[in-house]
Amino acid sequence: MQLSIRATGQDVQMLSYLLAKNPNNLYERSVSGHFVRMFFRKFSEEEVDVTFFVTPDPIELSRNNSEKYDITSYINDREFVVSSIFCTFLRSALGTALNGKPKEEYEPWVYHSFPLEFSFGPLASDLTDDEIAALFQPLGYNVEITYGAADYNMNFKTKSTARFITIKGSTTLQMGLRQLFVLIPVFDNYKHYYIDEREVEKIERYGEGWLDQHPQRDFIIRKALRFQEVYSQLEKETEEATNQEPEPKVRLNDLRYEKIIQKINQLPFKESIVDLGSGEGKLSEKLGFIEGVQAILAVEPSQSASIKALKRFEQVEPKENFIMPTQIIGSLFYFDERLKNKDIIILCEVIEHIDEHRLPKIMKTILQDYRPKALLLTTPNKEYNAVYEMDTEYRHLDHRFEWTRDEFTQWCEKQNEAQEYELIFDGIGEQHELYGYPTQMCLFSRKGM
Amino acid sequence: MNIVLPLTGIVLLVGPSNSGKSTFLKHLVEQGKILPSEIVSSDECRVLVGDTEFIDWHRRNKDEADALYNQYQTISAEAFSLMDSLIETRCRLNKLTCIDATHLYPDDRKKYINIAKKHHLPIVSIVLDIDQSELLERDKTRENPRGNKRIKQQVYQFKKEKRYIKKEGYLATYFISESKDMEVIRRTNHPLELDVSNGIDIIGDIHGCFDEMIRLLEKLGYEKNADQLYVHPMGRKFLSLGDIMSRGPKSLQTMEFFLRHIKEGLAYMIDSNHGWKIARWLDGKKVTLSHGDELVEEEFIQYEAQHGKEATEQFKQELKQLLLKAPSHYVLTKNGVPTLVCTHAGIKDEFIGKESHDISDFCRYGDSEGFDETGRPIRKDWTIHHKTSTTIVWGHDPKPKPLVINNTINIDQGIVFGGELTAFRYPEKEFVAVQAEQDYSDGKHNPLVEFKKKRLNPPNIAKYINGYQVLTDALGEIHIPKEYALASIDTVSHYTVPIEELVYIPPTMSPTPAPSSLEDYLEHPKEAIQYYRSMGIERMVAEKKHMGSRGILLLFKDEEAGLKYVGRKTLGVIYTRTGRRFFDEETEGEILSRMNNGLKASDYFTKYETEFVLIDAEIMPWNLKAKELISSQYAHVAENAILDRALLKNKLESIGDKHADLEKWLEEYDEKLTNAYVFKEVFQKYCWEINEIDQIQIAPFHILAHSNETFFHKPHTWHMEMNKEFARMETLFVETEYVVIDDEASEEEVIHWWENITSDGHEGIVIKPETFISTSKGKLLQPAIKVRGRKYLHIIYGMDYLDPENLKRLKQRNIGKKQKLALKEFSLGVEGIQRFVNGESIERVHECVLGTLAMESDPVDPRL
Repeated sequence: MQLSIRATGQDVQMLSYLLAKNPNNLYERSVSGHFVRMFFRKFSEEEVDVTFFVTPDPIELSRNNSEKYDITSYINDREFVVSSIFCTFLRSALGTALNGKPKEEYEPWVYHSFPLEFSFGPLASDLTDDEIAALFQPLGYNVEITYGAADYNMNFKTKSTARFITIKGSTTLQMGLRQLFVLIPVFDNYKHYYIDEREVEKIERYGEGWLDQHPQRDFIIRKALRFQEVYSQLEKETEEATNQEPEPKVRLNDLRYEKIIQKINQLPFKESIVDLGSGEGKLSEKLGFIEGVQAILAVEPSQSASIKALKRFEQVEPKENFIMPTQIIGSLFYFDERLKNKDIIILCEVIEHIDEHRLPKIMKTILQDYRPKALLLTTPNKEYNAVYEMDTEYRHLDHRFEWTRDEFTQWCEKQNEAQEYELIFDGIGEQHELYGYPTQMCLFSRKGM
Repeated sequence: MNIVLPLTGIVLLVGPSNSGKSTFLKHLVEQGKILPSEIVSSDECRVLVGDTEFIDWHRRNKDEADALYNQYQTISAEAFSLMDSLIETRCRLNKLTCIDATHLYPDDRKKYINIAKKHHLPIVSIVLDIDQSELLERDKTRENPRGNKRIKQQVYQFKKEKRYIKKEGYLATYFISESKDMEVIRRTNHPLELDVSNGIDIIGDIHGCFDEMIRLLEKLGYEKNADQLYVHPMGRKFLSLGDIMSRGPKSLQTMEFFLRHIKEGLAYMIDSNHGWKIARWLDGKKVTLSHGDELVEEEFIQYEAQHGKEATEQFKQELKQLLLKAPSHYVLTKNGVPTLVCTHAGIKDEFIGKESHDISDFCRYGDSEGFDETGRPIRKDWTIHHKTSTTIVWGHDPKPKPLVINNTINIDQGIVFGGELTAFRYPEKEFVAVQAEQDYSDGKHNPLVEFKKKRLNPPNIAKYINGYQVLTDALGEIHIPKEYALASIDTVSHYTVPIEELVYIPPTMSPTPAPSSLEDYLEHPKEAIQYYRSMGIERMVAEKKHMGSRGILLLFKDEEAGLKYVGRKTLGVIYTRTGRRFFDEETEGEILSRMNNGLKASDYFTKYETEFVLIDAEIMPWNLKAKELISSQYAHVAENAILDRALLKNKLESIGDKHADLEKWLEEYDEKLTNAYVFKEVFQKYCWEINEIDQIQIAPFHILAHSNETFFHKPHTWHMEMNKEFARMETLFVETEYVVIDDEASEEEVIHWWENITSDGHEGIVIKPETFISTSKGKLLQPAIKVRGRKYLHIIYGMDYLDPENLKRLKQRNIGKKQKLALKEFSLGVEGIQRFVNGESIERVHECVLGTLAMESDPVDPRL
């Protein structure tokens, strides 16, 4: 990680006073085992070229990063790329320049614009070259970007992910550095390596006089402060990720729940309901409000989903007539005595996430061991994908199959070989005259109930 | 008169104050018949809680008398509550308690009868019937006289009750009026305890399979003597877990055999469900003979035809006695310490060493929970409640192989259903078994067949969700903590291949126990070899360690075999070390069918008489599974490091007149740049473009199992030779180089070889003791130690790890936890495969697999 400052022309030697660095000396300070270093490559009347760089202690870095025991955290780019760590390391070495507090006699030079060239890197960023340039250009810089080598014995990538940036423009040293100190963490990919508590204050201070006018101000602030709300941010992102299905599906979800509830309301026995594969608890929550329901088992193997479901349930718990679902860690691949002899078991958009060949065994466990009075199954209707103008792909990346109405009907009938249940087929969503409903449903009702 | 005191239980004394209860007991203590601690007295309990045994409230003013009376009542109530809890505790612990109190009221006595019953212990009463005049006389001389009025009241009550006492339900009731003309006998030998002495061979349910039984006895070393008795030259005895008759062909012969041997003190037999049924039938009780008992009756009819009525009656009488007297269970003792329990169908911990109607019932039938639709009992699992260290050996419920669960061992292997007859040799703890000559059952409800049908039923989640223990052969009990078990259940429910196909998860492997003593190495073969030598291992195998991704291959002979073993018509499955499918479905299918063809063309399955082979292997290249990781981590880091370091190096070089310190920086960066290039070179070594299946290489290193056997008893040299055979059968398989270390010269050779291949960038070698499962002084040794190359470690510990300052710190690494996990995972792996090959339920196999996955959720430095 390095930053070079170069200037040519008159009075450029004044820069050494603004930096408070003697051009004849090397600078080296140890910051918790990492070396912050500086040398002047050029110091003449017409040209000054100074480089600041950090030689980190890799062991110290990995030790501080060892909380997450993941091998990638040992082999990582933090040791090399410019990031908020780099800015923190450099803050003291560049303190005089950043704060604009040289010896009194040089103070007027703080406000003097030099033809400056800052080059820094390597940079690991998801932003494109154009996006990077678009952040500097409004500040009056020309931007040049060079790439590392991506020459491998096989095709890992076409372009290197290591970049080096050079910006040129006429500006004061303080302004240039302050802009870099705000923007470097903005470029950097890393989500939560280093969180500086004074981040907000820093942006306010370093952003003074330029950030408010920057056309991408909001973007910069959001990116720079992403650490602060990293958790809530993350949560939002995952929620968005699970809803990646085509637009009409969002509404379809609600229709599906509505239909299931409507069906349950028509059933004579509904005291105990099992929501198998309850995920984040959206359906279970709604089941809690059905009249006549006395117990809901929300069965889900994923602990993270269960925690989200619990939050959801707790929010509505105080409401009247709400039956708090009981959360159970479990899955379709195990036998679970707690699920025996319930009134209703629901598999809402679950089976299509399981390899087809594994389903008969699961259905056998449900129908012959758990023996619910009713079983409600929903799954996508593949025919309807034509309405979404989908090709052969599935509606969700994790779907192992999607069935036509015929396939679904035949499959359901096959699961009912013992003839212990009555099957009623139905659909959910907006009906298409050719392709039927987007979601298909089957209600298994135990005979003689 | 003889008074017989039970070994354990309750002796209830009955009699008014001054009748001599305490004196009687004191006398027994003096005679050494009972211990002082075996007496619980109400008077003493009053002293213990209230400092006094009696408060006299007579001859007091009314207010004083009332207060004292209240005090006495309170103390008495507390004293009795203490007494009862003391007595219950002693009963629970199977001790004898003599209760010294008046017990004049039926409710007082009833209480103790109930306690005895609840704890399955006998209760006897000893009633002291002394004249009132004598009582009153004695009262005068005692320390705290009870007073005439009180004594007379007691005598009145006593007389009223006396004649009913006998019928209240004691094992025996003794009346004594003079304590001189009687003898008290205390039982001393425990009827249920057997000393192990020269060893006992416990035999599972025989069910009239006489011929198989004789074969088993011969296999156990018993020899027939002149008296037609089977005697062991070492003085061992055999013990049957019951059900020696019914269902099978030769019930009478078997019973006659046991009758003779038990009479001679050569054998033992315990009670059982069929035994009890036959006993009651012989006793003339009205019973319906079914479930194979009717065959006994048929045999008797034939017997009578041959031997006549008299001989038959005689035989029946003797058998009846034998069967009725068979104890519910035996407790085997070693040097007087009970260590093992033999029971037929089950037992509760609190029943051990006791006898009662309920206990006999439980031991005969086990814990049952009503009946199913076909009228057969639904068996509840009593084994999960067993908590003590005593081993319980049982039969009754046929399992395909001896089943060790929670310190219980089932040795009924369904001989009569065409299975095996098992003996458990104690204290050697070895199983010896013989095969049935045929299936003698009627074909309906063959439990062995039904077990097979249910084998692949989904595992009961209740067994895992609260954390659990796995008993492994290699390492004993392994605890699986709840939090990690739950994480693994999540993994299995979302990502892995189906539970039925996930039969094994390979263990993690520890690097060298100590860092290299050489200055510029982190790991070196010397330390691995030293570790094994220090543990007494002289022969080791060094194998080249491939750098790819771990893969488990379960290859079936044909799709039918797949259906049989994992419930799916498939040629096999290939999965990663975390249980995920290794290839996409299409590639997997192609690879499996190629392997199947290759193996079949070489007659592999026929030659080894197996329906599957389970292989532990490394699959290459690395980028097959890790391309994304390599690109975004390793390549990315290499590019950034090179860019950073090259630029700095150039800048430093470009300065004409250099400061001395600047020279140092330049040297430093020159070296750092070299390191970055090494890093970039190393990870590419394990990568190549994959355009077709042929570019994939699979290097097996363990042939874990065939359908009839596991190969943990084979040395690693055998495994390596087998791997060669695989490479010859199918080109996707590649051979792995190996060297045996057995002296200085071969050690040098291995080190030299390691230097050579690793300086070329290969990952390194793995050193294993020659024997697959090796121990030292009873302790399991690391099954393998990896020694990674100096170059390779750049991509593990970072490109600058060899910098002396860095290396010094890295050498302080601690591998204790890694080693422990390696042992646990290894033991779980071996255990799971053994269970799979033994045909145990997938629930029992899964217990091990889930355990290993859980161990892997336990965080440990991933660089190790």
